[in-house]
Amino acid sequence: MRARRADGAHAIPNAGMETFVQSMVSGILTGSLYAMIGIGLTIIFGVMRIINMAHGDMVMLGMYGAFWAHAAWKIDPFLSILIWIPGAFILGGITYRFLLRKIVPGGELNTLLYTAGLSLFIANLALLIWTGDYRTIKLPYAIMPLRPFGIAVPIPLAIAFGMAILVTAGLYWFLVHTDTGRAVRATSQEPEAAALMGVDVERITIVTFALGTALACGAGVLLAPSLYLYPTVGEILVAKCFVIVVLGGLGSVPGAIAGGLLLGVVESLGAVYVSVPYKDGIGFVIFLLVLLFRPSGLFGVGKS
Amino acid sequence: MALLEVKGLTKYFGGLRAVHDLSFQVNAGEILGLIGPNGAGKTTAFNLIAGFIRPTAGHVLLEGEDLVGMKPYAVTRKGIARTFQIVKPFKKLPVLENVALAAFLRFPSRAEAESHAKDVLERMGLSQKLAAAATDLTLSEQKRLEIARALATRPRLLLLDEPMSGLNPTEIDQATRLVMEICRGGVTVIWVEHVLKAIMNASHRVVVISQGQKIADSSPQQVVNNPEVISAYLGKRSIEHVVC
Amino acid sequence: MKLFSLIALVVLFLAVPWIIPVPFFLHLIIMVLMWTVLGAAWNILGGFAGQVSFGHATFLGAGAYTTMILYLKLGVAPWFGMVAGGVVAALIALPIGFICFRLRGPYFALSTLAVAEIVRLVALNWESLTAGPVGLLITTLPDVSFRGHPIDWESKTPFYYMAVVIALAAVLATAIMSRTRMGAYLLAIREDIDSAEAIGINTVQARVSALSLSAFLAGVAGGFYAMYLRYIDPDAVFAISLSVEMVFIAVVGGLTTVFGPLIGAIFLVTLGETFREHFLVGHLIFYGAFMMVAIRYMPEGIWGKLRLLMSPQR
Repeated sequence: MRARRADGAHAIPNAGMETFVQSMVSGILTGSLYAMIGIGLTIIFGVMRIINMAHGDMVMLGMYGAFWAHAAWKIDPFLSILIWIPGAFILGGITYRFLLRKIVPGGELNTLLYTAGLSLFIANLALLIWTGDYRTIKLPYAIMPLRPFGIAVPIPLAIAFGMAILVTAGLYWFLVHTDTGRAVRATSQEPEAAALMGVDVERITIVTFALGTALACGAGVLLAPSLYLYPTVGEILVAKCFVIVVLGGLGSVPGAIAGGLLLGVVESLGAVYVSVPYKDGIGFVIFLLVLLFRPSGLFGVGKS
Repeated sequence: MALLEVKGLTKYFGGLRAVHDLSFQVNAGEILGLIGPNGAGKTTAFNLIAGFIRPTAGHVLLEGEDLVGMKPYAVTRKGIARTFQIVKPFKKLPVLENVALAAFLRFPSRAEAESHAKDVLERMGLSQKLAAAATDLTLSEQKRLEIARALATRPRLLLLDEPMSGLNPTEIDQATRLVMEICRGGVTVIWVEHVLKAIMNASHRVVVISQGQKIADSSPQQVVNNPEVISAYLGKRSIEHVVC
Repeated sequence: MKLFSLIALVVLFLAVPWIIPVPFFLHLIIMVLMWTVLGAAWNILGGFAGQVSFGHATFLGAGAYTTMILYLKLGVAPWFGMVAGGVVAALIALPIGFICFRLRGPYFALSTLAVAEIVRLVALNWESLTAGPVGLLITTLPDVSFRGHPIDWESKTPFYYMAVVIALAAVLATAIMSRTRMGAYLLAIREDIDSAEAIGINTVQARVSALSLSAFLAGVAGGFYAMYLRYIDPDAVFAISLSVEMVFIAVVGGLTTVFGPLIGAIFLVTLGETFREHFLVGHLIFYGAFMMVAIRYMPEGIWGKLRLLMSPQR
């Protein structure tokens, strides 16, 4: 159940500065994508107060979207993001409007269970349609990694990183400089006050869920060239991204970014310095420790 | 010896001082009114006494035994029951079950627990609603259910947190009579309230809290004329309009 | 009349392997019964006590490994091993509860998931104990006889009867618990934990008790799983999907009911296993679909809904 690197990168046992920097860099690159997924999850939680267990499957859909765009239509996966992000936005909107809207009033736990059901449904549908075979995307320009300062940087990951930054910057601009974006932030902090101030909470909710879904799918598209793709990847991803979101404080975008980067780095360093098999567990151990000792997250803001 | 003695009770939330050096006594058989402007720390004081929060300093002595550090269920077992400001019934469970659960504390068998629960519910005027889901009751009925549930644990001391909020004048009168009757039945009462008319008429003594500190502790008549109390509530204006 | 139909039912149950000696059908029933135990186990903590756990595979796996290791290394017969498995599961539930019960609602759920994943990774890497990813295999089950007849472990029949026994035990345990004061207390905790504390319920002790019973039953089922399938590895018994399946069976069947897990297992496991026979993958699609339908239209579950429809008024 671990997302495996398609370029076959391994932990190299000889210590030293180079290894450290290498693993930090890998961690930040991967972490940026974790962060993108985490931002989507955290804004959904902030505005709707729900835990979206299907979020990881949205990432999976993005991955397969990129794969099929490349395999069937010969479109470069990074370009296909232009199709898939708007597509995912619409998909998210439809999902909320026709599936979730009646469920959310039933409470946090009911919604958690419902989205868990949705997650299982989507993942298994994907298993049926696309089979459980691992897929990879082979890009002709991605065979050799870049080597700035002697640090190996796989090209797809570098591009993904760059685009993730662009997307996050765009999101930041949206949240700070547009009316809708500001309404999203307001609703995420104080839904009742926002409603009293004239915010159309229903509209903001659907926008937020669509946006969160688009971010998840987008991250999937960006990650696709760097990982082995399989339909149940959403399961472990959503668990890890909840770790990020809780660590960063539920509802906090900067917290999700920091949490994502942190998780990427911790996993990367963990793979080198602790051991490869246990690296997935490190995030969870930290998660438990934080939940016990700092319930509002490492960076404050969350709700207890 | 006083039934309950609160000594030097203090609670800081981070840098925020919620309750500071609060001391007062309650004697068995009394109704003690606890009043003060919004945010004065009254509910915090209740939470401290009932064990829901741990004080930064101070003691809560029930007949000499310090309850600080005990979990809420242990405090209830010692004989202090409380209601919540915003009622928290077991929503989906029937009214009878709500109270029977509380009665289980003193009556481990279901038959006895239900029997005791029925008695308490009758005193609260809810006999007709035994099978109704708690969430289907009117506000006044839910408040009475809340009290019934607390009483079913056979407390020596009952902490009532704003039982009158949201009630109309008729209901307020009924509730006032109910509180007095509870006291006559042998339960000591500490009562937080904003409806000053009710609390002044029914209480034997009144303690006034402002900004976490006690500013008065005397009979209702004396408290009403206490200039510090008046200024805490209304700036420099008279309190006459509030108490009929 | 009622006693007669009860006896008839019991006889029917006991006679199934002779009435329908089709291996796949028996396998189906065995799976339904095993998942009934798992669903019932989850129902005690997640249904009655309202503490939704997404990490119950921890206890299943603990029971499975205990049973396997006791049999393979110490020769302890698996039917005793299963009980030991339940006990071990109940024991590890204590520190897990200590950690996770500090959290509420969804946070509790996520923390149980985190614990389950950590346990899976430990099992994967502690090779001296668990043989890691290679897993543990039972080649031959004990040479024993029942009333003079040697037991044929190649047939489904002995497993069927064992499954009936543990399913019966699980359902009975739930029924008994629901009638005790503890059962009533758990429902109060489910509704409102602060109010429960306020009326004198030691909510920590109550939850830990529920968790222990829940873990015990799951551990016993895990031991059975090990014995029936004869091969276990960390990804088989500690998988998140197993935890999730337990949740789904309990919810779809009907939380806080005694027979809900049985009904949930009948629906989901039958559909899932039959589907799996033909399509090999994707069988959990039914679980997902049923869950969505249940939460939307029947949050009380199939059995819960049936009970409502069958009761006279109210």
